[in-house]
Amino acid sequence: MSDKTSGDALTFTPVIGIEIHIQLKTKSKIFCSCSADYTHDAPNSHICPVCMGLPGSMPVLNETVVQQGMLAGMALNCGIQPTTYFFRKSYYYPDLPKGHQITQSDLPIAEKGYLMIKDDAGNPKRIRITRLHLEEDVGKLHHSAADGRLEGAATSYVDYNRSGLPLAEIVSEPDISSAREAVEYATALRRRVRYCGASDADLEKGMMRFDANVSVKCSDGRWGRRVEVKNMNSFRALERAIEYEVKRQSKILTEGGEVLQETRHWNDAKETTMASRVKEFYRKFIVEPDLPPLVVSPEWVENTRAALPEMPDEKLRRYVEEWGLSEVDAAILADSRDVAQYFEACVTAGANPARASNWVRTEILRTLNERQNQRQNERQNDKQMGAEELAVKPEALAELLIRVDGGKISTTLAKSVFENMLEGLSLDEALTKSGASEGGVKADVLSDLARATLAANPDVIEEIKAGKDVKGKKLKFLQGLVMRETKGQARPEEVAAVIEAAIKVLLK
Amino acid sequence: MEFHALGVHEIAAGVRAKKFTALDVFNECLDRTIACESKLSALITVTADSGRAQAREVDAGIARGEEMGLLAGVPVILKDNMCTHGIRTTAGSRILGYWSPPYDATVWRLLSSEGAVLLGKANMDEFAMGNTTGTSAFGPTANPWDLSRVPGGSSGGSAASVAAAYTPLALGSDTGGSIRQPASYCGIYGLKPTYGLVSRYGLIAYGSSLDQIGPFTRDLEDMALAMQILAHHDLKDSTSVAKGNIDFSLPMGDKNGNVNLKGKRIALVKDFQDFTLDPPIADAMRRVLRVMEEGGAEISEVSLPTVARYAVACYYAIAASEAHTNLARYDGVRYGLMVNTATSLKDMFEQVRSQGFGSEVKSRIIAGTCLTEPVRSEEYYVAATRVRTLIAAEFGKAFEKVDAILQPVTPSLPEKIGESDEDAMKGYESDLYTLPVNMAGLPGLSFCTGYARDSGPVPGFPSEPTSGLPVGLQLVGPRWSDKNLLDIAFELQKVLGAPQIARGGI
Repeated sequence: MSDKTSGDALTFTPVIGIEIHIQLKTKSKIFCSCSADYTHDAPNSHICPVCMGLPGSMPVLNETVVQQGMLAGMALNCGIQPTTYFFRKSYYYPDLPKGHQITQSDLPIAEKGYLMIKDDAGNPKRIRITRLHLEEDVGKLHHSAADGRLEGAATSYVDYNRSGLPLAEIVSEPDISSAREAVEYATALRRRVRYCGASDADLEKGMMRFDANVSVKCSDGRWGRRVEVKNMNSFRALERAIEYEVKRQSKILTEGGEVLQETRHWNDAKETTMASRVKEFYRKFIVEPDLPPLVVSPEWVENTRAALPEMPDEKLRRYVEEWGLSEVDAAILADSRDVAQYFEACVTAGANPARASNWVRTEILRTLNERQNQRQNERQNDKQMGAEELAVKPEALAELLIRVDGGKISTTLAKSVFENMLEGLSLDEALTKSGASEGGVKADVLSDLARATLAANPDVIEEIKAGKDVKGKKLKFLQGLVMRETKGQARPEEVAAVIEAAIKVLLK
Repeated sequence: MEFHALGVHEIAAGVRAKKFTALDVFNECLDRTIACESKLSALITVTADSGRAQAREVDAGIARGEEMGLLAGVPVILKDNMCTHGIRTTAGSRILGYWSPPYDATVWRLLSSEGAVLLGKANMDEFAMGNTTGTSAFGPTANPWDLSRVPGGSSGGSAASVAAAYTPLALGSDTGGSIRQPASYCGIYGLKPTYGLVSRYGLIAYGSSLDQIGPFTRDLEDMALAMQILAHHDLKDSTSVAKGNIDFSLPMGDKNGNVNLKGKRIALVKDFQDFTLDPPIADAMRRVLRVMEEGGAEISEVSLPTVARYAVACYYAIAASEAHTNLARYDGVRYGLMVNTATSLKDMFEQVRSQGFGSEVKSRIIAGTCLTEPVRSEEYYVAATRVRTLIAAEFGKAFEKVDAILQPVTPSLPEKIGESDEDAMKGYESDLYTLPVNMAGLPGLSFCTGYARDSGPVPGFPSEPTSGLPVGLQLVGPRWSDKNLLDIAFELQKVLGAPQIARGGI
């Protein structure tokens, strides 16, 4: 979609701000010691008086949440506030156990950051980040209707396993001008929070959710009012919802109508937004009296900053500038931190960056993908498989690639060796299992093989003798046969030399 | 043997020395409780069976030769806003009518681990909002000195229980005077500790930044013992403060010696002098001041103009603002009163809350809702929190020069039951002496000075015989001076005498 939607003579510029909730990566919830990992467990199996908001219960802040919030804030180029507070935000909903949510409101732990993206013309664009604040998640409603929706449901059930999960809400300035930019911003944000280890940001598990504030500016000077679209939980939904909303608002303005300020919900199935029932409640705030002010010491901030890894954009730039990779290849490698780390360790251990890039982008990513699918099918563990879990350590892969570059091992053999190493064998063991012996194939063995091959293919020899192998294809064919016999462990140039020598003998 | 007349330390020592059993003590206290209850209605729940079981456990432990705690076999009563695992905890409200918490409040965990035995859960103003124990959904409690009068509130049930000697120790909670005022009305000791000294975990909240749990006793040694156990850093309460181990033990064995208050700097509040006091209370002030002076204390005046002028208004703004968020959780979804007739979610919330809350609670919820509305919040709630800072600073400045302030608890003696039902403002105004203490997080100790009749324990006191009701005053100190307040009261007790047991209608 373009950022200008034309209607007769009028053009419209979308003005979009995004609020993103990410679940911070911690073992326990934000205000109690209940486990934050409940994915496969029964409803209401991870609850206690605190996350249920029972009378008399009191919140105690989990320090890891603060640490992760600071990390995420730093990864998004935000400044950290030394003293902040928690507030109670009051409203009624059955999945909100206390009738108020504890949140940082307008005194967030991190603020005034930015993210760089490419605009629709491909130019660098800075999206400003207003703030990142910490808060608790609420429970989840399950309705008894067949489609799981509230309409037509006789009963609703509440699962409080989510209640009290630590969230960071990240609010952007209205700097985004298209659905595509919105997705790029969200993707870049996810990459960064994953990189610094603050969040797994797994969309399917609801660890990342989007709300978008969309309005359009008309070329005749009219502005549509701001509409908040809620309930998007995939990049596709984010993109489609914004596209839909921009179109809807542009149409209203084209027809001379007025865009109402309202909250709309994205319906993923119907791919439309719908005005949600107007929530008349005020969002009231009082200081949370059960929690003291949150004070982060300069030392804590400093230590957290020291723990912040190099971010993907910087890595990408380094791969291109220092190691001469293409921007496309570098982007693939830098996309996730574990893969980037694997790649870098491989290069550090002596592998040629171009070859290491090639192998990591193909073999390593393919393997990770396969293993991941296998895991999901077997339902053993739905955690994303990390490159660090592979049996082949980057140093071992580097050793293998060095041998390939040194001409000691062919690429074909190297792949076989790699497969064996994936099963847990050392480089040497894998070489042996793949039929390779140290130092390649001895010259006399190779000569014997060449002679045997020639003897087995008299028709080919005849054609060569007859001078029909003008382009050298027959020679290559024979060469290939020998290579296969050696299981690829011979050096191609040596094989070529042996065959040429043998044919010369035959020609005499 | 009349175990009910014994103090905490006497019972614990006797049980440990096998002079008598915890079960004997419990049964005798229970008998007295049952005898008085038809007149007093001090308890919402009597925990006879679980209490007997606990008493038997203590006895069994002693029989096995185990080291028993400081409260071995001591019957205690908890205000019914402190959670007790598996025992109904109502906060005096219909909305929590039959709620059994799945966990214990930290204070009860601390007491029971020292061998205390629970006798019952005390009646209270609904969600601790009130100062007569008349807003309880379970009916009012009577004053054990005069059954036609209120015991004070909101911890009226706890105070009446100790005054009538159901148990030698009960816990109350004090948000704006809810320990000190009923202690004064019932003629016993009541301590509102420094905010943060005693854990609030498991205390059903009213105004979280003001609430504080504290003990009622008829004996200062008992109070010191209780504080020794309760003053405990709790990781489950983020506002609980680690103060190390404060030694609360008093210089015992000198009860009839000379009053020694040398070096103690005691002050009166100049700005409170204009307020009218009932004659017995004014008499008590004069009498106690004389005792202090004779005991060697330096008496002076401090000025608290901001407190005198703004404390009441700011207190109610803050308490109501916090209360309405604390009470938002009672929606009929998870526990407590539920309805089956609702036609929508909103209808369900409305029905549960309309039926479940009493009128005092409703009025404070509505006040809190209004005071924190976005358009008014700055003018009311936020302004009140700013004034609160000034109040704390004003006290802080005063306590640079003095160790404690002597002041009334209330300007008048306990009213008749039902007297102020139609006049909420009367109750609010009478809180001036107590609630600034909560605003600043200070400790306040209410103590009995004698009785408003000529047969009182202090010769010549009071000068104007009235109804025979106990007359209390309070000592207020800087933060963490709780022990010093006990020390001063201990010296005064040498002249004033110890609180007596009320007949409790029998």
